[in-house]
Amino acid sequence: MKAMKIVKKTLGIAGLAYAGLFCVFYFDLDGKLLYYVVEPFMKNHFDNMKRRDPHTVPYEQIEHEYMK
Amino acid sequence: MKKPDFSKLKDLDVKKAAKDFVYGKPHGERRLGDLYIPKTGLYKHREWRGIKDTMYYFNNIWLYNYGMIVRDLMVYGGGPKGVVQFLKGTWRYRWMGQTYLTVMHWFDRCLEGMRGETLAASAWHFRGIVSACLYQITGFFNRDLNIGGDPALRAKTIGTDETVWGGIIYPYMDQGGYYLPTQMIPYFVTCHCNNHTVLNYIDAAQAYGLPGDPCPMCQAEAGIFIEDDVPDSYVAVVTTNEACDGSVGTSVIQDWMMNKPLFAMPQVMQFDDDTVLENCAKEIEMAWRFIEEQTGLEFHWDELVKHIKLQNEQNRFEREKWDVAANTSNYPINGVAQALYRIFYSQYGERPFWHDVDKRVRKIMEKCVNEDINTFPKTRHRVIAWSCAPLYYSAWCTWAYNCWGLNTIINMDSLMFDLEIRTDTYENCLLDIAKYHEWAPMRRMAVGGLQHIFELWENMEKFNCDMVMMYDQLQCKGMQGVVGLFEDEFRARNIHAIWMPHALPDKRTVPRSQIRQIINDYMFTVMGEEPLDPSLLEFDDIDSW
Repeated sequence: MKAMKIVKKTLGIAGLAYAGLFCVFYFDLDGKLLYYVVEPFMKNHFDNMKRRDPHTVPYEQIEHEYMK
Repeated sequence: MKKPDFSKLKDLDVKKAAKDFVYGKPHGERRLGDLYIPKTGLYKHREWRGIKDTMYYFNNIWLYNYGMIVRDLMVYGGGPKGVVQFLKGTWRYRWMGQTYLTVMHWFDRCLEGMRGETLAASAWHFRGIVSACLYQITGFFNRDLNIGGDPALRAKTIGTDETVWGGIIYPYMDQGGYYLPTQMIPYFVTCHCNNHTVLNYIDAAQAYGLPGDPCPMCQAEAGIFIEDDVPDSYVAVVTTNEACDGSVGTSVIQDWMMNKPLFAMPQVMQFDDDTVLENCAKEIEMAWRFIEEQTGLEFHWDELVKHIKLQNEQNRFEREKWDVAANTSNYPINGVAQALYRIFYSQYGERPFWHDVDKRVRKIMEKCVNEDINTFPKTRHRVIAWSCAPLYYSAWCTWAYNCWGLNTIINMDSLMFDLEIRTDTYENCLLDIAKYHEWAPMRRMAVGGLQHIFELWENMEKFNCDMVMMYDQLQCKGMQGVVGLFEDEFRARNIHAIWMPHALPDKRTVPRSQIRQIINDYMFTVMGEEPLDPSLLEFDDIDSW
């Protein structure tokens, strides 16, 4: 009996999760979350990121064996 | 709050509504344009394709691919550590963190309106592309010294220009030799998946003082380096001129900012000349010596042959696909899936995930042929797409079929690497590899000489096409030079051709709505036809991915 209960509960939770995921899919909730929340947040993060000044890289040729 | 309008229910045909629910609305009644939220390209809700196809999309495409992304990260990344590296990279690089998370919307845009076998086969192509992307993304991040990657892996890795064919690393793969095209993932694929990111890199190049009129691809590729958005994942670089002098300029910037040993392996202009071929073969051997010097790897002929044979197998299947596409109405792959998958695998080179996709697609295609399934039943015109496509609107083919019944059968980039490489002797193999390298994207036909860009006519006949979608990359000086010649030929041959202006990755120059308007105008005024789905004629997707 107890085992049946656990199976039923597991199936119920799985069913609900599946239905919930279908709602996310059908109403494009993943797209809306990414568009309105995640992307602006990430954009803000990248816009304010400290970046290396490209001019700090030396402008010179590296000599190697294959060139000789 | 707006009150619901129940008056429409009075006119509801219950039987028809039930049929539409079970089987999906027939093409012509779908009104796919009504699903969009203005400007964003998001859906009010995703398309209802009938029970079978909606559940296929949900289970076998949407859920499956989200799941497989996690699986790929674990497998290619080498376990949980790979996932940690992936998260670090997502936080560090804009082209990853702002771009690829939206990948399932890429599927949506390209697979709109598809049903049955067409939906399945096209989606498998995208699965292959995404797997290849993750293979490279984990390859970048696992080796990246900027985020604590493994120096031992990096020591066996060569960065390349994205148009250096991935086969360059074949002889070293059994020893852990790894090939990373430096722009394919940070630039090229981003434009298709989410074109917001690339604009930062174009603007970075122009803000730096570089001119704004050369090819925006070159600008974006330089911008990635100016923005310091490049992983330090490779020990040395094999570069090339990527078909145009704009790219040569990019290479100068990249060479400076990468600050690594670099070997320049040019793509020659006059590739029909046999003496040039011999020279190119010598340069490939020099590139191999360079790789060996930089990585300590040894040249393994058997390993090279093994991968070339597998690659030839892929090319043979591609020809089978073309045969079905050209001579039947059973080809189950839509224009955008065909184009992106083909250019990706033929450029990146042979890897296991492509074979898995080909096996599944073969099964679907054989079913279509055996059961004579008309895969694009609303086809009004069979279209060949020629020249370089707009990266920000590769899904135009899907729109054009849904709206007008324009079925894109084949495109120029798919045809350029059609070469079976010989493996009988080292000399023959090397010469064919040289030819393959010479036939690079944007060189084989686009700027490969008039006789090659005019291969359009024979391919139009071969694939039984009655219309040309002629891409017009406004900032490509090479292709701009032949516009008049094409105009003359189209007129003389009485061919329906629509010129599609675009600026490769930059949607701001010619927005997608303008591209649609140009096609609409041609179809109304020249062809005198009416749309299959009028809701798709005009909609605002200016800020969409």
